[in-house]
Amino acid sequence: MQVSGYKILISILLVAGLSIAGFHRQGPEPLHIDYPAYFGNRTFIPDDNPTTVEGVALGRRLFYEKRLSVSRQMSCGTCHRQELAFTDGKVFSEGADGSLQPRNTMSLVNLLWVRNFFWDGRVAGLEMQAAVPLTNAHEMGQSLAVSAALLSGEPVYRSLFSKAFGTDSMTGEGIVKALSQFERTLVSANAPYDQYLRGDYQPTVAELNGISLFYGNPDAARNVRGAGCAHCHGGPKTYIELYHNNGLDSIPANPGRELVSGQSYDRGRFRVVSLRNIALTAPYMHDGRFKTLEEVLSHYNEHIKLSKTLSPFLQGVGNSNALDGLTLGLTDSEKKDLLAFMHMLTDPTFISDKRFSDPFQD
Amino acid sequence: MNIFRSVIVLSFQLAFIVSAYAQTGPGIKISGEVTKPLTLSIEDLAKMKRSTAVLTDRDGKPHNYQGVALQELLEQAGVTMGKQLRGEQLTKYLMVKCADGYEVLFSLAELDSSFTDRVVILADKLENGPLPDGKGPFRLVVPGEKKPARSSFQVVEMVIRYAKD
Repeated sequence: MQVSGYKILISILLVAGLSIAGFHRQGPEPLHIDYPAYFGNRTFIPDDNPTTVEGVALGRRLFYEKRLSVSRQMSCGTCHRQELAFTDGKVFSEGADGSLQPRNTMSLVNLLWVRNFFWDGRVAGLEMQAAVPLTNAHEMGQSLAVSAALLSGEPVYRSLFSKAFGTDSMTGEGIVKALSQFERTLVSANAPYDQYLRGDYQPTVAELNGISLFYGNPDAARNVRGAGCAHCHGGPKTYIELYHNNGLDSIPANPGRELVSGQSYDRGRFRVVSLRNIALTAPYMHDGRFKTLEEVLSHYNEHIKLSKTLSPFLQGVGNSNALDGLTLGLTDSEKKDLLAFMHMLTDPTFISDKRFSDPFQD
Repeated sequence: MNIFRSVIVLSFQLAFIVSAYAQTGPGIKISGEVTKPLTLSIEDLAKMKRSTAVLTDRDGKPHNYQGVALQELLEQAGVTMGKQLRGEQLTKYLMVKCADGYEVLFSLAELDSSFTDRVVILADKLENGPLPDGKGPFRLVVPGEKKPARSSFQVVEMVIRYAKD
């Protein structure tokens, strides 16, 4: 009888203990980032920085925190504005010291699928990327140690940091990890093109022809029209991690990826960007030389400059709509159709989503 | 003494900077599930057993490419080919990485002469001349495929891994 009572007591304690453990999760809550199956699961999240609800909340605040810049006037959100799909509309953004950046500010969209960052892919992983603009003297210009010390003085940050990383002593590493977690949640997947892929939207005739041209390769012998865009921008994400010389100059002013690899065959090669929200992210190219998408289309159609490192997919044979043609050879009407498709990639939800907005404005 | 030390430190730094920026010749790196990680130059390839493969290019005409069979390269790096390619080794794949970021995949059995007569080569010559700009110095030639999408250009790295899912 005594033994049985003992057993009952143990059982009660066990059940109570398990219930408490169940209700009081240890550490931050894992965050599931939602995206369509057609984006695929080739995502990149480092083992030492899983995405969590608390980490993303901290990262969102840090993204818009102006005290992370030496001038106290700039946050990440200064050059990466949500309403412009996280670009700033400028050819070159101005740093905290007033100097202009050497390359155009990139949009922040669907970074979960990106392995290497910047126009030349010189940095692996978002965590490594985030540290660069924060500390570069010509960007935000403040060391991570100074930023961490500065924010540690605030109870709100100590609390957010503690919830995200289990310690209230802020570190530079924690700052870049939280920022990266937030940036991984910037998924754009509700543009009219997504609605079409889900079967919820019937595209116009122009949009349908634009889609067909975008994915199709020109084959003049068989009278098949195409723009061959999908070689490099292919798939529903309109993104593959590639670096190409897209014929902007016969002698590239900026060596691009050659500076990373040290190989001359990489001269003038730059990242092939995602076309998601592309209508919002003017001006275009690494040097912001094109103000409109019409200019971009005109470049690919009529103004490709030859050089030794020009992408094979932008050269004459096999890439023209005319037999033995040396240029792409789309008609004005076809260019308008492609433009209609590109506008299908603008996601109104993405640029108004409160989860991505400035919490200091709430 | 301090000045002397500074000069030495400075010259070391300069040497480092110069070597970091100096261009080294292109090479092919073979890594992953290998017993001998390799980086091979054009000269190294020239000394190996040579093979020829025919590929119909986008001009619609067949062309002769010369280079080294992938099986030969993988065996040099100690990859489980031939008699060793059995059991769990058949869950291995080769990921081919190109300078522009393009990647394509093969299962090892696709590249092994005990499974197939098709010989995939890493070509460094086209009709015994250099490969054209934008495609060389090394490209893959995969004969007998309807699409040329795996005959990738400017190969820089080959990684062997186990598929684990």
